[in-house]
Amino acid sequence: MFGILASDFLKIRRKMIWFLIFLGPIGVLSLQAVNFTLRYEYLTDLYKADLWGGLMNNVTMLAVPTIFIGLAIITSMIANIEHQTNSWKQVLALPISKFSVFTAKFTLGLILLFVSSTLLGLGTIILGLVLKFGSSIPYLELLKIIYYPYFAVMPFIALQIWLAITYKNQATALTIGIIGTVVSMYAVIFPDWVPYKWPTLENQWGEPLYSVGFGLLVGLLIYLMGLLDFIRRDVK
Amino acid sequence: MMSEMIIQTKQLTKKFGNRDVVENVNLAIKKGEIYGFLGPNGAGKTTTIRMLLGLARPTKGSIHIFGKDMKKERLAVLRRVGSLVEYPSYYGHLTAYENLEAVRRLIDVPKSRIDEVLSIVRLSKEANRPVKGFSLGMKQRLGIATALLGKPDLLILDEPTNGLDPSGILEVRELIKSMPSEHGITILVSSHLLSEIDQMATQVGIISKGKMIFQDSIETLRKQSKSNIHIVVNEPETAWRALLSRGLQVDKAENGLMLENVSDQKVAEIIEALVKEHIAVYRVQEQKQSLEDIFLQMIGEEGSL
Repeated sequence: MFGILASDFLKIRRKMIWFLIFLGPIGVLSLQAVNFTLRYEYLTDLYKADLWGGLMNNVTMLAVPTIFIGLAIITSMIANIEHQTNSWKQVLALPISKFSVFTAKFTLGLILLFVSSTLLGLGTIILGLVLKFGSSIPYLELLKIIYYPYFAVMPFIALQIWLAITYKNQATALTIGIIGTVVSMYAVIFPDWVPYKWPTLENQWGEPLYSVGFGLLVGLLIYLMGLLDFIRRDVK
Repeated sequence: MMSEMIIQTKQLTKKFGNRDVVENVNLAIKKGEIYGFLGPNGAGKTTTIRMLLGLARPTKGSIHIFGKDMKKERLAVLRRVGSLVEYPSYYGHLTAYENLEAVRRLIDVPKSRIDEVLSIVRLSKEANRPVKGFSLGMKQRLGIATALLGKPDLLILDEPTNGLDPSGILEVRELIKSMPSEHGITILVSSHLLSEIDQMATQVGIISKGKMIFQDSIETLRKQSKSNIHIVVNEPETAWRALLSRGLQVDKAENGLMLENVSDQKVAEIIEALVKEHIAVYRVQEQKQSLEDIFLQMIGEEGSL
């Protein structure tokens, strides 16, 4: 299993994937930097009770759609390395189980997005300090706004990796990913059971952990369904 | 006898919808052989090979490789198999060395093995170039290097010379021919060209429209070639009639007569008759069918059914 992941990390060299992993958080933070620089007086007045909280809210607002589009692109690129070179047959004719091949691709996606989320957290701290919001950084809150959406978005990581692996034409996976991104921007108004709402961490109980729990549970379920389908399917 | 069987399939069948792509194929490949798997495009070669590698699931029938059931012990079997299915798979953005490293990490063999296989296929000098700049022949050799990485006992190569230029074909062929003697590997190699198989295989299996229509040694296949005797005479019509009146039935041909599959005795008898009839015999020549003819004939017969 570790070997397969190591191999997958080797394969994404020189593929712009790492560039995108950095681009996501940098894009979000640049926009917020512009936002807060241009409207510094107004925003610092608006959030004067909790400057860091205000910043984090604004970051999250942009981060959720970015995660959606980012995960669609990253999972598609991971799967496309094998599609493009017709390598599925070569990889699966090796003495490794289909379970570990699929799980490694899923895990690779998880790790890359985790790195992206972590960078976003670190970047938020730097931005806050540059904006002179003081040194009483609310680390716990920050961890929550960075990693809760990451866990709550799990069903979509599992779905997109399955789509990207199953359908050679990446238009399918990317279309669904892009539609998801647009939907996620209006997700707050949806009922609680709609998965697109979970990464916003809003629910009727006002408890973000519920969203995280649903996300992890359904994410695991979709991963298992995708896995079973991958094992059952003939290799093209 | 059974113990030295490397691949054995029984009633192997694959259906796509209602169509039988592979139908009741019984492969039998013994240790140390170069088995040529022959058939026109679309005959079911690749589908059969995919099933042997566990990439596709048989609709019916069984596969035993190294005496192990493929269904139950897929991974144990694949550990001893190297493969190259159709055009080679390579990651163009990586170098030859990195390509092999990507596979090596999956199968857990020592790093030194990469240099070994690179030198077997003579790519050591090109190891650090991105593969996208390779010629097709080099890519194909890299594919074979990848297949050899895990020190396999069985090598399955699907159309390894497809699309190569003559020198590329020669290189790959020599490489394949050296394997059983130098490395003790059994090889299954498929092709749609009989001349290819003829030059490297010891055993041959012919598949057409999903069915095995021949499986034996190349020599046996050669023996199937009919030899015709062509007799050139001055007056074909008279000669044919004269023979017929003596109860010797032959076919008419250009400038003479054609005898199909006749014994030496019979040939002597016919010539004697011709001489007695005062017909001038210019030439008696044997026309042997080439392997290619036999192959085409076999496929043709199957097609007319």
